[in-house]
Amino acid sequence: MDYEILMPQFSDTMEVGRVARWLKKEGDFVERGEVIAEIEAEKAVMELQSFKRGLLKRILVREGQEVPVGRPIALMELGERIEEVRRPTAPPTEERKAVPPPIEEAPKVVPTKPPERVELPSGFASPYARLLAKEMGLELEELQKEGRLPSPAHAKDVEGLLRERYFTPKALELLKEYELRAEDLIRALPDRKIDEDTLLAYVEREGIPKRLPVSSVQKSLISNLSKSFVLPHYHIYEVFDLSQIPWDKDITLTHWLIKIVGDAMQFFERLRALFKEDYYLLYPHSNVGVAMAVGEELYAPVIKEVNRKGLKEIAQEVRELKKKAEEGRLSLEELQGGTLTISNLGMFGIRSFDAVIPYGQVCIIAVGMQDEKGMAHITFTFDHRVVNGFHGALFVKHLKEKVLDRNYIRFLKKV
Amino acid sequence: MLYRDALNLALEHALEHDHRVVLLGEDVGFYGGNYKVTEGLYAKYGPKRVIDTPIAENSIVGTAVGMAMMGLRPVAEIMTANFSMLAMDQIVNQMPKLRYMSGGKVFLPLVVRMPQGVAKQLGSQHSQSLEHLFASIPGLYVLCASDAVSAYHVLLYAIRMDDPVLFLEHVLLYGVDFPFEPLEGFDPFRARILREGRDVTVVSYLKMTHDVLKASQWLEEREGISCEVIDLLSLRPIDFETIYGSVKKTKRLVVVYEAPKTLGLGAEVSARVSEELFYFLDAPPLRIAGEEVPIPYNRKLELMAIPTPEKVYAQIVQWGRRHGL
Repeated sequence: MDYEILMPQFSDTMEVGRVARWLKKEGDFVERGEVIAEIEAEKAVMELQSFKRGLLKRILVREGQEVPVGRPIALMELGERIEEVRRPTAPPTEERKAVPPPIEEAPKVVPTKPPERVELPSGFASPYARLLAKEMGLELEELQKEGRLPSPAHAKDVEGLLRERYFTPKALELLKEYELRAEDLIRALPDRKIDEDTLLAYVEREGIPKRLPVSSVQKSLISNLSKSFVLPHYHIYEVFDLSQIPWDKDITLTHWLIKIVGDAMQFFERLRALFKEDYYLLYPHSNVGVAMAVGEELYAPVIKEVNRKGLKEIAQEVRELKKKAEEGRLSLEELQGGTLTISNLGMFGIRSFDAVIPYGQVCIIAVGMQDEKGMAHITFTFDHRVVNGFHGALFVKHLKEKVLDRNYIRFLKKV
Repeated sequence: MLYRDALNLALEHALEHDHRVVLLGEDVGFYGGNYKVTEGLYAKYGPKRVIDTPIAENSIVGTAVGMAMMGLRPVAEIMTANFSMLAMDQIVNQMPKLRYMSGGKVFLPLVVRMPQGVAKQLGSQHSQSLEHLFASIPGLYVLCASDAVSAYHVLLYAIRMDDPVLFLEHVLLYGVDFPFEPLEGFDPFRARILREGRDVTVVSYLKMTHDVLKASQWLEEREGISCEVIDLLSLRPIDFETIYGSVKKTKRLVVVYEAPKTLGLGAEVSARVSEELFYFLDAPPLRIAGEEVPIPYNRKLELMAIPTPEKVYAQIVQWGRRHGL
């Protein structure tokens, strides 16, 4: 019996994973602990290691495909490495056909050699290809003699030719984005080559919407936010005097706030808590998430043990995480474990806003723009199941005092 | 709900709400049916409504025909379609003819149920698919069901009809668990589109429908070929309207069935599509069907003799490559 490699569950909230890349191919021998594939889930890319040793017999899921947790993604034949004797490079199809697998498995009778396309002297075409060519005013037989169409010609060949003849490559890409049919456009804009500009003008005139797929990162964000938004939560709005904080280009206000909030969290154990229905899990250290926009996506990687780290260290780490996010290489480790997240939109001149708590966390702090006197509106959103109003208020009060504590700020700057 | 439980539910519903309904067949009563379809009904409705018969297929159907002529609504069970050959005189010469020959004066509210198809190693004489024999006889309605929803609704519909119906089941489906929901206004004469697609129309019925669904998922995932899967619930008459509508969209037709390819139902479907839609076709219709052999006993040979999801997948891929898909 073949061993099934299942889509693993890397985190509690993970429901589907996307195979980002296969590092092994069918027929490769895999040692225990070797990385077989990279899996993208919950915004992070993780390595899938093999628990067993054996031959990777079949890959069931292609790159880029999403699969629910627990579904088989590949089959392995367990055992020691066997030299090439038993496996000829290309087992003949007939032999494979002779042993059809149990019904529940993936297709095994994969034609190893693509069958020859039917070829006939020019003049032949499928009935529908003929119809299409006639509608579009193409001379099938002449095109076949010129070698621009195969014989017999099928709808796909004619459509391909039409596209080539009437569309520039850029325009073809746009066709897909707007989900348009080539034939419709040729009818609407007859007798000319359709380039990008013509197509865009047509799209604008007709008011055709563009199709923008939802990224896997956004999908996981949507699913998590939808779960956390319905939890009981409340806001505290307060104006903070941040004039004492000497932030600059290297160590920004966000970096400062991460550190100050992280220190403040040390006095409030509930802000370092995970809610587990019957009990809270209280973490000793302050793990603070930072919301960052990267391209179209939103990431919130976590700075661990903020209370133990200096400002420079934090600034450095935030920059590194940002870089990783840009390269799409954040690990799950770097995205997990936070209990509080800071989101700063002050640099865009936003005066005040509130934010949705990341799923599983306790609090999110929304930082608005600093005015000329150094005052800033900050909104706290708390998970009421963990932090009641009393503790929330105390935490905000504590923070307000901390940002004005000159000795503390001076001390932070030195470390 | 198990396929067999859905059939049982339909029979019980019919027995409960119409006192004219009776069941008859070999071992349908005390034993509960060879495939446990009539289980519990003998205990509930007694030997006058659920009748055990001798092993005499021609008499079973003949008795049922007489009952129906005289006003009952019998549901006869033939243990498997293979044994219905012994009842062919009644099925071919009486059942379909009486309504016509009496100028519509005789009503024949009769259902003959029977399972068919390849199970697991039952041998040649117990593994046949014979739908094409019945579906070629004018005057008969041939209905079938591929899951719990269709099993319940199609069988109940058949019992309520005033015409003779041959109802086909598949041996391998009895133990399969399907989602179930009662539906309003279910029409067995309309084929079901179980999966929408744009590249190929795949027509199938009974167990092959499930093999086709599996293969179409692989085709979509691995080859980017999108199949529209049509499940026939009526094999006579066939809902060509739905098939034509789909083929007009996809321009390609595949028919998958378990019986041998020659003169099977797929021959009829592809011929009709060629007649009606010749100028819309982008490839010759493809039949994926059983091999031209009596079904072998050996499990490996047995599977070689009929379509499997793997074969459906591979054959559609190869056919597509040959014909410009």
